[in-house]
Amino acid sequence: MVDFTNIDLDQLFGFSDDSNPLMMLVWILPIILFVFYGQRIQLQVTSGEIKKAIKKLDAYRIEARTELIEHVKKNMNPREDPTKKIDRFLDYFTIMPVDMDPNGIVEKVRHIVRAREDYSRNHVKTISPETGELELTKIITLLEIATSLHMIFKIVNHMYLTAKKQNNYPLILPLQMILPFIMEEAEAITKAIPAFKSGQPIGDGIGPMVVGKMMLDTKKEKMAFQTVSSEKEFDGRKLILLKAEGPGSTVGRPGDAVETIVAKSKPDIIIMVDAALKMEGEDSAITAQGFGAAIGGIGTERFQIEEIATKNNIPILAIVIKQSIKEAITLMTKDIANQAETVRSQVYEMIHDNTKSGQSVLLIGVGNTIGVAQ
Amino acid sequence: MFSKEKIVIAYTIEKCKSCEMERKRNFTEGDYLFAENSKCNSCEGVMQIDKIFGESIE
Repeated sequence: MVDFTNIDLDQLFGFSDDSNPLMMLVWILPIILFVFYGQRIQLQVTSGEIKKAIKKLDAYRIEARTELIEHVKKNMNPREDPTKKIDRFLDYFTIMPVDMDPNGIVEKVRHIVRAREDYSRNHVKTISPETGELELTKIITLLEIATSLHMIFKIVNHMYLTAKKQNNYPLILPLQMILPFIMEEAEAITKAIPAFKSGQPIGDGIGPMVVGKMMLDTKKEKMAFQTVSSEKEFDGRKLILLKAEGPGSTVGRPGDAVETIVAKSKPDIIIMVDAALKMEGEDSAITAQGFGAAIGGIGTERFQIEEIATKNNIPILAIVIKQSIKEAITLMTKDIANQAETVRSQVYEMIHDNTKSGQSVLLIGVGNTIGVAQ
Repeated sequence: MFSKEKIVIAYTIEKCKSCEMERKRNFTEGDYLFAENSKCNSCEGVMQIDKIFGESIE
């Protein structure tokens, strides 16, 4: 009879004996396996995660496309089915100018981006020419959302399939690293759809909200495309207020408007109010003050404002309201909305502290003005 | 692992331009900031939309 209560594991497996062939196999086999097939195993594990993310991205883009088509059918009353036209829009691409010689590249980028914007606007309008301007701005934004999600899906899918096809693990590494950020952005973009459909203010609209209230009961003047300005007095100073024309979904063209305003009546100071991305660990809806042009986007508007300010020696001050990317493009949170009054008093304090009586101030509310009038 | 999607409800805050009384109601399509579309219950003044925001319910 074997006594199972008295087995010596050390003796059985020969843990203390280096020559035991069973132990040698236990150690050497995985080493050989990982030396020759390590990358393939890693590729399989990683590709499982990426596949799940791609499935999600595909669902996001289908949701955005369906929502867009339904919204167009419901609100534009098109004579023909707009699906084909919308599908064609989704595949449009933009080729950025050559940057080997960076001289004058901002002008070229601005030209290409604006040409694309104008083209999209005119062609969306052809779906139903009777559509009002407000509804048109919403549909163009929804189209931008659907196009972005479509592009994100296509690029991620392409990178994944290429790595799989070549069985190349290092090729999938950069995708694995940036995927969480891409997913965060794609999720935020998808969640932005309901706000734009119903014309609700978004977190990015805090700048226009602050300046828009100050513009109430003043005479508004169109300064640039989808951009309005007005004037009022405060504490002996002349305030020139500027924002995108609400309540449509637009950021306007503040660069062009600043150019016109500065040429007409050179302000002594420019103050910009905008939403800014918060850092991890920072609270949402906190405000911060600083220097320089607070304006996001592709960079052309910021370049234009900085150039005008530099040429005319006008200092630029900024107040930003911190928020996450999701908060910036989805329905405004209560915390951000509650900050509007605080920011307004900070603006007045900034004007009082940095200018003298008789001077003029250009105050710009930067951001998408959906759901925010003036 | 057990994170639930939060449901966000959109609210509109109206403020009377004369007596500053505030009224909170659900957002309705067509609402936008600073629109004047109703009368104050207490002083018959004009109510103006002061805030529109989302609040999440668990």
